[in-house]
Amino acid sequence: MSEQTSSVKPDEVDTDPGLWTIISPVNREIYTGMAVSLLSLVAWLASIMLFLPITRELMMPEPDVGRLVLLIGAGFGLVAFSFVCRAWSFRISHLGAFRLEQILRTELTARLAKVPLGYVVNAGSGALKKIVLDDVRSLHAFVADSTPLFAKTFSAPILGIILMLFLDWRLALLSLALFPVGIIAMFFAFRDYDVARKKVDQATERINKVINEYVQGMHVVRTFDDGSGSFERYRSALNDATETMREWTSQSQMGAFIARTLFAALPTVLVLLAVGVPMYQAGTLELPILMMFLLLAPTVTESIVPIVWLQQLLTNAAAAVKRIGDLRKVELIPEVDEGPSPADASVKLIDVSFCYEGRSDNALTNVSLTIPAGTVTALVGASGAGKSTIAQLIPRFWDVTEGKILVGGVDVRDMTADVLLHNVAFVFQSPFLLSDSIKNNIRLGKPDATEEEVVAAAKAAQAHDFIMTELPDGYDSVVGERGSSLSGGQRQRITIARAILQDSPIIVLDEATAFADPDNEAKIHQALAELARGKTLIVVAHRLSTIVDAHQIAVLDQGRIVESGTHESLVAAGGRYAKLWSHFEQAQDWGLRVADTGANADPQEEAEVS
Amino acid sequence: MIATFKNMIHACGSKADVMRGSLVYAVLAAIAQGLAYALLFPLFAALASGSDMVWWYVIGIIALVLGDAALRLGESHGGWRVYIEVSDETRSNLGEQLKRMPLEQLAKRQTGDLNSVLTGNVNDVVSIAGGLYGIVINTMVAPMVTIIATLFVDWRLSVAMLILFPAAIPIYRVIREAGAKENRISATAHADAASHIIEYTQGLSVLRATRQVGSESQRLQASLARLREAQVRGTKLVTLPSIFMAAIVQIGILAITALAISFVLGDSLSVAAVLALIVIAIRFSEPLALFANMSSMFDFMEAAIDRISELLAVPPLAQAGEATNTDGSHVMFEGVSFAYDGTQEDVLVDVSFDVPERSLTALVGTSGSGKTTITKLLTRFADPQVGKVTIGGVDIRSMSQNELMRQFSVVFQDVYLFDESIGENIRLAKPDATQDEIVAAAKAANCHDFISALPNGYDTGVGEIGGALSGGERQRISIARAILKDAPIVILDEPTSALDTESEVAVQRAIDTLVRDKTVLVIAHRLSTIVAADNIIVLEAGQIVEQGNHAALLADDGRYAEMWHAQRSDRHWQITSG
Repeated sequence: MSEQTSSVKPDEVDTDPGLWTIISPVNREIYTGMAVSLLSLVAWLASIMLFLPITRELMMPEPDVGRLVLLIGAGFGLVAFSFVCRAWSFRISHLGAFRLEQILRTELTARLAKVPLGYVVNAGSGALKKIVLDDVRSLHAFVADSTPLFAKTFSAPILGIILMLFLDWRLALLSLALFPVGIIAMFFAFRDYDVARKKVDQATERINKVINEYVQGMHVVRTFDDGSGSFERYRSALNDATETMREWTSQSQMGAFIARTLFAALPTVLVLLAVGVPMYQAGTLELPILMMFLLLAPTVTESIVPIVWLQQLLTNAAAAVKRIGDLRKVELIPEVDEGPSPADASVKLIDVSFCYEGRSDNALTNVSLTIPAGTVTALVGASGAGKSTIAQLIPRFWDVTEGKILVGGVDVRDMTADVLLHNVAFVFQSPFLLSDSIKNNIRLGKPDATEEEVVAAAKAAQAHDFIMTELPDGYDSVVGERGSSLSGGQRQRITIARAILQDSPIIVLDEATAFADPDNEAKIHQALAELARGKTLIVVAHRLSTIVDAHQIAVLDQGRIVESGTHESLVAAGGRYAKLWSHFEQAQDWGLRVADTGANADPQEEAEVS
Repeated sequence: MIATFKNMIHACGSKADVMRGSLVYAVLAAIAQGLAYALLFPLFAALASGSDMVWWYVIGIIALVLGDAALRLGESHGGWRVYIEVSDETRSNLGEQLKRMPLEQLAKRQTGDLNSVLTGNVNDVVSIAGGLYGIVINTMVAPMVTIIATLFVDWRLSVAMLILFPAAIPIYRVIREAGAKENRISATAHADAASHIIEYTQGLSVLRATRQVGSESQRLQASLARLREAQVRGTKLVTLPSIFMAAIVQIGILAITALAISFVLGDSLSVAAVLALIVIAIRFSEPLALFANMSSMFDFMEAAIDRISELLAVPPLAQAGEATNTDGSHVMFEGVSFAYDGTQEDVLVDVSFDVPERSLTALVGTSGSGKTTITKLLTRFADPQVGKVTIGGVDIRSMSQNELMRQFSVVFQDVYLFDESIGENIRLAKPDATQDEIVAAAKAANCHDFISALPNGYDTGVGEIGGALSGGERQRISIARAILKDAPIVILDEPTSALDTESEVAVQRAIDTLVRDKTVLVIAHRLSTIVAADNIIVLEAGQIVEQGNHAALLADDGRYAEMWHAQRSDRHWQITSG
């Protein structure tokens, strides 16, 4: 048995060194659960041992009924006690597992508030939800089910063997003879197990990936044909996976079968009979002892089965443990507990270089930019030029690699997160709403805002009208509930109302590129104009017409500012911006036409007169 | 229980016979096992009396054990076949179904849900049908056989044991119901926590500004606490009864041995029989006690089978009548009204319009006015409840899916690229296209240059470069696809609105090539792009409120004119901090 124990232990330590650390907050429950589970086992074994004196008494010529009643009564007591312990240990370990889930989730979400915001944005809420909810959940099975099982699985055979040796050492040794045979069979069966298993895992992974792609792409491929082309690919991936599985089973089926058969109860019973019957006939073994062996020995051999389960549970937990560990490894953004407040609403980038983690090339190189308070600065450039990176660095979604960023004369790294984020509001393209009332969604920007302030902000954001007329309960309508589904543009306006209420002096705006419809677009523009009033504004611009009047336009190319100035001066300079502007004008002129004739030129021109 | 097994066999499709075979093996093996244990009665009797029969009984047990092993080998062999072949077959059927079912039905289901049917649910079914069910069979049948065999030793004991089983059934029911209830409670609590975690991560920048993070985040913390509460309640619901049941079984078995002992004291039973009974009772007690827990896996399986059959049961759109060849690409909507499946409200009301061959028709209106629905009906996303849609004079319902789709190229705002080479992604539109044709299409769509600059040109995998493709580049690849397909009708869904200026020009040029001499239907947001349209259809609440060309609609000074002026003044919108 000891070989078995040691052959499993190091394995599991190898695959996930982090598991025991991750579950350590509930060590108390785990160890208590194990101890109580052990107690349950001991009581159960003791109840079985009672059958020895009971049957011996029965075989007496004149059985002592009083003693029998006493012994059977004790048996009932022990079984009942064993079950109370089992229920108790189950309860302890489950409650511990639930407590662990809550502890981990609180810890991970608190951690998310301290890692670079950029990490959170990049990872995406879906993936983070998976870690915080699903991966943490998958640890549950391990903590709740396997810890009691752990105690039982490893102690049952040991205690069983001790008892058997104590009863009759010859029979004990013989009955264990199957064990090495089984282990050798297992060894052969699982010799190439890891390699084969990896192949199967890969096949499974591939199948899952292909299914995912097939399902996701179905809407698209159906617009090309009846889906046959894509189905062929799917079918061939299925074939590959099926072939791999076939190969694997034909290799491992027999060995696994032999192992499973040998470790079942009946073969052990057979060995005991084959050896025990002659011993009994020779008069060196009494019948009750033979019976005791028939009770105990299968318990020992069968204990191998839960060990396999445990291994499975550990493997299942491993992937989750790794992802949780990865999230815990993300470096926290260093934060000060107290710091100065910015003196004004100016922003200054001094020689800023930035490189995303794991990338070798700089996203920004030596960028310097001065943004006086109350001015509008536009960042323009092709996608990937670095405009969004600058926008993200100002509210400190990431820390600069070199150089520094000052907000109101203070390095953003010297400010506390709430002071910084209170001074710099980041208005996203994709609006974020709580599944809560409209009122609370707006109030999120300023938790102590009065009702009047909320309404005023909504009015400024062009949201008041639709809130009052289209939503069933006005400001108390809960987002996403019946009758309160909002269009993209409406959601955007609620987000803007929130930002207006928050009233941060500096606003970083990633200009939305697409709006739901023309009506909404105009309203959103009005809302943004309200938001921008009197603020320092930094705009990541896509439509150049929006920023013609900006105080400063910084043109980015491959992470550097290549030009900056006002619209007029840049157009006059005839550089990169002038080229962008002519592209823009060209794009504005474009209209769809089926034929090559110039027949439609007139209205086209009319559209251009502006 | 029998219904469950029937479902399981049925779920194996063409492999039902294999499944039946292994089920029979499993039952026979369990019977052999039960009989082997039953032989302990005469064996112990023979030992006690010193009879010569002892070795015959041992040989009998050996034979049964070997028989058991052989049967189990057969079972396991069939089990593997079921596991492998049924998952292959079911996934293949589901794959077929996905390409056959109406797109409306496909769109109603979330990708994640469909995914979990094809992966998880199929797996749930085959892992149980492929062997796990055997454990349940064994725990049921083997003890039953032994109990029946006990009739020949002492009918009183046999009856006592038989009574124990039905006694456990009501508790078992309670457990199953509690389990179902627990699942509901826990699913609700998990969904609640999931949405709060998503909310939290999405809102972190706002929440950080107001210090509502980590343990200070009240909404999230409350949700996590609710989740734990639900879990604790669920555990109480399920675990206590199941442990209680295990205890009943074990104590019941002990009571039966006590009963047997009292028979011995009353001289109506031999000591040897009690010895055998003890061995048998203890052997079966643990599996019987776990029976309730194990049988809950059938609930999983049945839920999975339900979800699979639900998906397979969605009927495909019927192809009405024989297809006649289309005469050109003239599109007509005739009195079309349509409501989405499961809703009462018509999203299109009596819509009629004409799109003559090689003309440009634009659909205009606020979101929800029905623009997208019109293009969906044209591609037979679903069939209208009233009216009909024809192409070249042929009702689209009489065309095969393949024939219908040959008529269209569709370019969406969102471009989906498969995780394959760029060349393969373009080829999707025409599987037998030559490399030259692909390059020609890419050149026409203005994407040859950037594709050639990639490390492996057209063979570069989309996955390798992933995010490195900009929105405009992806859009141009999708236009290359459409150009390669060269379908007579082009449907555009505002393909340029999400692009930055530089990409926009390139995409616009690509579209110019795509739409040349085609019949075009475009959903437009920016009205300046459709000034040249032959017909502009203005939709409001599912109805056509105006149609005509740009000049005519402006002259009418109606809804279109209003939108046009709003957009024109908005074009001068500028951000200022003044």
